[in-house]
Amino acid sequence: MNFPAELKYTRHHLWVKMDGNTASVGITDYAQDALGSIVFINLPQEGDATTAGESFGDVESVKTSSELICPVSGTICAVNEDLADMPDDLNLAPYRHWIIKVDQISGTEELLDADAYQALCAQK
Amino acid sequence: MNRPGPPAIQQLQLFRSTSTDPYYNLALEQRLMEAVPEDCCTLYLWQNQHTVVIGRSQNAWRECRTALLKEEGGALARRLSGGGAVYHDLGNLNFTFLMPSRHFDLDRQLEVIARACAQAGIQVRRSGRNDLLAGGRKFSGSAFYRAGGKSYHHGTLMVRVDKERLNRYLSPSAAKLEAKGVPSVQARVANLADYAPDLTCQDMDGLLEASFAEVYGLPVRPAPAPEKASVEPLRQRNASWEWVYGPRLPFSFQCERRFPWGEVQLQLNVERGRVSEARVYSDAMDWLLPSRLERALTGVPFVFEALCRSLEGELSDLPQMCQDLCLMLKEQEIG
Repeated sequence: MNFPAELKYTRHHLWVKMDGNTASVGITDYAQDALGSIVFINLPQEGDATTAGESFGDVESVKTSSELICPVSGTICAVNEDLADMPDDLNLAPYRHWIIKVDQISGTEELLDADAYQALCAQK
Repeated sequence: MNRPGPPAIQQLQLFRSTSTDPYYNLALEQRLMEAVPEDCCTLYLWQNQHTVVIGRSQNAWRECRTALLKEEGGALARRLSGGGAVYHDLGNLNFTFLMPSRHFDLDRQLEVIARACAQAGIQVRRSGRNDLLAGGRKFSGSAFYRAGGKSYHHGTLMVRVDKERLNRYLSPSAAKLEAKGVPSVQARVANLADYAPDLTCQDMDGLLEASFAEVYGLPVRPAPAPEKASVEPLRQRNASWEWVYGPRLPFSFQCERRFPWGEVQLQLNVERGRVSEARVYSDAMDWLLPSRLERALTGVPFVFEALCRSLEGELSDLPQMCQDLCLMLKEQEIG
């Protein structure tokens, strides 16, 4: 299981990469492994507002459907529409494929570093 | 060294819905999931009257003959879990196991169902991940949802479902659609009553409660009812057109027809249940017709009545064309 040190993580199993005042958001290796093969992703639209701790979309895998809980409050400035056609890219390379980018950030959930997140996953 | 495992399930709860309204029952399910205590598994039993329930990521029109269902007084509902479309009536009993995600145990949950069936004299076996079969035919399908550290596993139990209606509704509408989303998997289905002729949903309800206690080895207590005031907003969301037909599931629709006055081809892109883009091609003499139709259809909800009303508004000077186009749309079964 992979936990890149340069990323931040949430207890809802999303990763966040800050780049200036823009956050890229994706699901973690742990999440994609737990979900199993992802068959569909419901994406939000550019311009939608997000609230930290609330759902911005959902993924359906062969095992379950699961909400995507946004780590940051802000405005969605980009949506990775390619995932609509190839949702299993999230299984193949979860850290290479961001789902949304958020700017105008006004707040965040608790963000964990790689070690703390790895420890959280180990408890499960 | 062994790490201590998470605390096991210490208590079991049961909740029975007295409603047969799918929107209310699905709202109740969500609230029961949020309310389930950390050391508890709740079993929720519920029935819906005359309803097709589609999966979280499905296109309503592609999975169900929505116009026919509506015409015959049925309801269409979308659930939070994934998977395919199912038909419910009062011959079907729904079960939901709700628990903190770490207690999720599919084998144990399905054992509750299998044991109840065995008590009714029916031997069942599992097929794939989600189905239970009796005599080689599916009578129960399961689907799953998780959010906020809680999970549920719910499924159908066909005891004596109207199979004729099931087959009639669970086919695609006539409309030609290009949609992303999760398609349903067709299965040969059976009613448990095919194997135990006197069996009723009420019998199964009692057998499930007993089996729940046996498999988990704990007494079953009634779950506290979620507050009505907290259920109502979710019921309204579940019943809303936007939720059932129009979540973030874009698709495109095409139809074409030759009329005495010319040929028309419609291409509509639909997002969140509304026409986001209309393209119309026609060899009709009226060269303004395509752009007038495009203007009339853009932004309109993808519902037969709404599309027709908009056409009537735009084409008041061309009543025959308007009538022909509305009839063509009606035949697409976009109810």
